[in-house]
Amino acid sequence: MSNEEVLYQSPLLYRVLRAAGGPLLIEVVVGGIAMYAVRVRLDAGEEQAFLREGAAFSDRLARQITAEPSFGGRAYDAPG
Amino acid sequence: MLHCTIDPSQRRRVRGLIVAGLFSLSSPGIVGCATPSETVVAEPATPAAAAPTPPADPAPPAEPAKPAAEPAGVTAVAVGACNERQAEISKQADERSKSWTIAQHLAKNFPDMKVSWLMKETPYQNFVVKTNAEKFGRCDDTGCYLFAAPTAVIQQAVDKAVKGKTHDAAVLGAALGLPAKNFEGPLRMMTLDLRATNSCVRLPVDADPGVWKCQSEADKDCFKFGGYTSGNVPEVMVIDAPVAQAVVREIP
Repeated sequence: MSNEEVLYQSPLLYRVLRAAGGPLLIEVVVGGIAMYAVRVRLDAGEEQAFLREGAAFSDRLARQITAEPSFGGRAYDAPG
Repeated sequence: MLHCTIDPSQRRRVRGLIVAGLFSLSSPGIVGCATPSETVVAEPATPAAAAPTPPADPAPPAEPAKPAAEPAGVTAVAVGACNERQAEISKQADERSKSWTIAQHLAKNFPDMKVSWLMKETPYQNFVVKTNAEKFGRCDDTGCYLFAAPTAVIQQAVDKAVKGKTHDAAVLGAALGLPAKNFEGPLRMMTLDLRATNSCVRLPVDADPGVWKCQSEADKDCFKFGGYTSGNVPEVMVIDAPVAQAVVREIP
């Protein structure tokens, strides 16, 4: 049972979630011939950017994460 | 092999017909001259001409140019039903790789034209099943982009890794040259017969959605141009792979 709310689901294979505690997360499918998902918790600036720009911002963020799945050490494996 | 003097635009069409043979199984290498007036001469080596396709029958009958029944905006310049955008990307990728074209790549590494890829169970459920996805891969307004490997390679790796009711992620990772953690937990293995789907296929390029460019030779699980993963597994980019035509296997 998940306490997460899906705020946006993208055909680029990512989704923006609001966790039970309130923070926003982005979950991105990464990898090539073997795909898995990682998550990054948005910082305050990113949350504001998403609330302001919506998918335009999250698309850019998701592309950055697929291009560097560790995302500077901020990414962690998605559950499941 | 039949050679024709042709203008550049016709050369592209002829090249498409050559690689189309990979799909149709109909005498690869047999191509037709666009007009009866074209003379038969020795053609300079081109990437397509250098493809390791079986030699054509001597003096095959001229075939008409690609039938006008192709959907508007779709030309068979690359492999499969590539639109003009994808065909151009494929052409540029073939030119960049110089000695290795998509036609050669398919002939050597994907002889049965079957491709497979793996996905962890949870993202498969969240991004394919729950969304009722019609196409696999990362989609934008230009198409859906999917990395895939030869089915035989994936199948062999999976068979080696499956033990009883589960699989050994380390074995699977080692077999595919990728980190074991990418394979932990239940997986799905998808298989697509490109001959049946006629999906557009080309060499993957740096700009493709999902590309993680390698920063050093030591990097694993990242993208290097040329048709092989960093673990040296052959790979292609499939455009608009249809979910409905894929065979999906559960790997517990």
